Amino acid sequence: MSDHSEPTTPSSTLTPTSEHEHSTSLDSLSKTKSAIESLSSILSSFPSNLSFSISSSNPNPAFSLLHDPQVASQVSYLLREPNSGAGDNNLCRWLYDTFQSGDPNLQLIVLRFLPIIVGIYLSRVALRKPLAGFEAVLLALYAHETTSRAGQPITMNVPNLSLPSVYHEAKAPINNDSTELNLAVISPSLEPHGTVRSTRRARIVGVALELYHSKIYHMPVGSKIDFCDFCVVWAGQDNNDDDRDLKKESESNGRKEGRIPLPWELLQPVLRILGHCLMGNTKNKELFDAAWAACNSLYARSMHDIDPKALLATGSLLKLGKKAMEPSEDLDPTEIRRSNVLVI
Amino acid sequence: MEFWGDHSDVESDSEWVREVSANGVSMKTTEVEAKLDQGNIQEAEASLREGLSLNFEEARSLLGKLEYQRGNVEGALRVFEGIDLQAAIQRLQPSLAEKPSSRRGRFRTESQHAVSQHAASLVLEAIYLKAKSLQKLGRVSEAAHECRSVLDAVEKIFYQGIPDVQVDNKLQEIVTQAVELLPDLWKQAGFYHEAISAYRRALLSQWNLDNDCCARIQKGYAVLLLYGGVEAGPPSLAVQIDGSYVPKNNLEEAILLLMILMRKFILGKTQWDPSLMDHLTFALSVCSQTPVLAKQLEEIMPGVYHRVDRWNSLALCYSGAGQNKAALNLLRKSLHKHERPDDIIALLLAAKICSEDSHLAAEGVEYARRAINYAHGIDEHLKGVGLRTLGLCLGKQTKVSSSDFERSRLQSEALKSLEGAIPLEPNNMDLIFELGVQYAEHRNLTAALRCAKQFIDETGGSILKGWRFLALVLSAQQRFSEAEVVTDAALDETAKWDQGPLLRLKAKLKFSQSLHMDAIETYRYLLALVQAQRKSFGPPRIQVVDDKVNEFEIWHGLAKLYSSLSHWKDAEICLRKARELKQYSVEALHTEGVIFEGRGQFQEAFAAYNNALLLEPCHVPCKILISALLLKRGLKALPVARSLLSDALRIDPTNRMAWYYLGMVHKDDGRKADAADCFQAASMLEESDPIESFDSIL
Repeated sequence: MSDHSEPTTPSSTLTPTSEHEHSTSLDSLSKTKSAIESLSSILSSFPSNLSFSISSSNPNPAFSLLHDPQVASQVSYLLREPNSGAGDNNLCRWLYDTFQSGDPNLQLIVLRFLPIIVGIYLSRVALRKPLAGFEAVLLALYAHETTSRAGQPITMNVPNLSLPSVYHEAKAPINNDSTELNLAVISPSLEPHGTVRSTRRARIVGVALELYHSKIYHMPVGSKIDFCDFCVVWAGQDNNDDDRDLKKESESNGRKEGRIPLPWELLQPVLRILGHCLMGNTKNKELFDAAWAACNSLYARSMHDIDPKALLATGSLLKLGKKAMEPSEDLDPTEIRRSNVLVI
Repeated sequence: MEFWGDHSDVESDSEWVREVSANGVSMKTTEVEAKLDQGNIQEAEASLREGLSLNFEEARSLLGKLEYQRGNVEGALRVFEGIDLQAAIQRLQPSLAEKPSSRRGRFRTESQHAVSQHAASLVLEAIYLKAKSLQKLGRVSEAAHECRSVLDAVEKIFYQGIPDVQVDNKLQEIVTQAVELLPDLWKQAGFYHEAISAYRRALLSQWNLDNDCCARIQKGYAVLLLYGGVEAGPPSLAVQIDGSYVPKNNLEEAILLLMILMRKFILGKTQWDPSLMDHLTFALSVCSQTPVLAKQLEEIMPGVYHRVDRWNSLALCYSGAGQNKAALNLLRKSLHKHERPDDIIALLLAAKICSEDSHLAAEGVEYARRAINYAHGIDEHLKGVGLRTLGLCLGKQTKVSSSDFERSRLQSEALKSLEGAIPLEPNNMDLIFELGVQYAEHRNLTAALRCAKQFIDETGGSILKGWRFLALVLSAQQRFSEAEVVTDAALDETAKWDQGPLLRLKAKLKFSQSLHMDAIETYRYLLALVQAQRKSFGPPRIQVVDDKVNEFEIWHGLAKLYSSLSHWKDAEICLRKARELKQYSVEALHTEGVIFEGRGQFQEAFAAYNNALLLEPCHVPCKILISALLLKRGLKALPVARSLLSDALRIDPTNRMAWYYLGMVHKDDGRKADAADCFQAASMLEESDPIESFDSIL
């Protein structure tokens, strides 16, 4: 294992990750090799084809690792162990080191497990368990985003149809007021954080989720399902009798554990990820069902919080999901017209 | 121009008797089909060539189409693979020698057009059907490559475009279908980047698409942008026009497209598609642009949505942007007895809005009660929310209650509602917090302390107001040093820019412990923080939405601090600074009066207090100070003082200074027993005053 700084005190020594873009594939291969080696020492059984693939001609071992179901289930199991988030936890250290390696493909593997890390972490905050290991990983992701955005906010100009655009024409505007663009902040500016201060926790996790959302195209379906399942736990409002096996975390005492505060800085990235899970590819039934359950729970939660923005967002997702579930009766406009007389 | 006979009366495939026709001849396909079924493509082709006088490619194309229509896509594919389509395209392209002259001259005979269009549509249709066959066989990415070659070919063959009037219908149809199919194929194949460029190509090039097709493509693209998870990046510079809006990211582009689609519907160019509004709602609410969404909703013609649905959606939009007044007006309409009085979400939202304003609280109580009544069946789980909002409204209503009796009734009802909500909402920390504040207002500080601690524990200390509340409760119990420990712990858990309210609290705690120099030091630090913040964010930034460190409050706090130390000069300087930031402020006038009074300028002090009361007629501290001044003037002014103090106590019954001065009035007037009662009240209250009022944090 590389002798990086301890996972408990991570970001003060963060090195900018700019060099990774220029890293040679040989360099990246050796990084992948050492990551796979150290992971195989943590997991009880390691798929032989992966350890083999380091030496063999597998062009992209990191990709295989990202999509390996056996590794995923073992890592998930370890992350759910009672003391998994401690500062001296080997797996957390591996996740931290692997992300800090700066290799984009290896970073995807860490992101793949973000839903479980965030899920377990947020649900355990109130239980006073050691969480330094999880926090080190989350801070590494946060620092990565802070660096790549240079701390700047992500903003958006809300479109205004009175201005012509690439997709439509508009008459010359009469007054300037109506054509002024409305600037919206999607994600505020980022300040560096060396530790997780509790009032900044939601923001740090939210930014990590924003990073996850930006790479969600590369994420395996299993990772997204993990995410949706945790949405149900966080909402703490599953009044539909959908009994997925979600309450693994609940330490009973007769109450449901896992309901967490959902401020907008956390809820917003959650909703964007959920939008992808529900509507990104409705053909994957398992993912769609998980996302559907998550939407239902979060909608119920927004009702309990009487949160108008969340009600609008989750309510519209529910309507869209419902439409997607109905069999479509539309004619396929790309089908040629059937006729009995074929003409040249 | 040719015409496809459409025999829609024939239903099932088996009954179909197909015909093929070309060059004015037509023939039944029974024989050809039999040959195809035997796998004999050559013979089938030969009989077509003979029967209809076709060349090889024409015959093959026709055969492929026949197979495709018969549902034999594998067979169709075999036939198409037998044609060298790329060579055919090559032949159709204008030769290089032709190009420069025609580019300059821009003329071509019509017949030339007609010929090349006919030949082109034959080849393009073959490629298109090959793509469709591949798609149906599940070989989607191959299909996409074929489909793309249709469009590439069109661009090569008709690189100058075709005037609208001359476009062959069949050619247009194939092109339109290929344009629409291509992005969909890339999407199905999982190549989202290719899908994005195909969408852009479809929408930014001139394909002469009809409205419905263009709308479908725009919607498909918007959906991919919103949910696909792949960042499209801005469109190329080539398509950007000066002064036009160029979307920079997925959200902007998706919202733009959806808005254009809404506009098309409003102009009657396309059919209504309810999912458009759902996509737009999702997109605009996740970026907190609900007022823009409201504008879109308002533009939709009546009849699309039921008016109550529209009002309720609009109310959510306005309330989401903090425009609660507008939201409440809409909800009042939708909850009218002739509309939809039992809509539980609308009732809860209305109650919540009312709970934030003491003058609306009574109205909110009604909404909350109705919500509780309707919370059964599938809405049973909302009963706790109803009770919670009811408690909040009742609690707020106590602020404007007209009598002590009324107040204590409301207060205990409020507590009862909130306590009743707890078993229904056992994990709702906001509820615990609100119950705690209610206890604190009731001066049940032990219960309030328990709630505050539980709130911090369960939220993991992640919510600032929890820390502030705990510190306030401790300060009310006169446990100042513990309150300071809590404040310091909270400061540790807070990033620099959020520390303002905590530091202000800390300054006041220091002051309460008579650690004046420490208090001044804390204020100084606060000022430094404000200046640092201004430097790093610049003056007016979108960044600082809620002014976290309020500079006015710091100067004013300092002014109060100095005046309590009788450092009138310093107090005046600080007050001047404060008033530069906020000219008309009750608090500043109040402090100004205190300074005048301290310097013995009673007339001026009196004037300052009066001005403050003119600004805010219910300002309790000024009422008390005026009474105190009046008290010094002797017996004649006592009735005025007494009425002012009674008024102050009506507004704020736990104000110990008001009780104290009322006691003084009674004493001066010779009512010893009454005076004693008042003094007793004052001394009891002294032990439970927080350093900032509890409702300042709700």
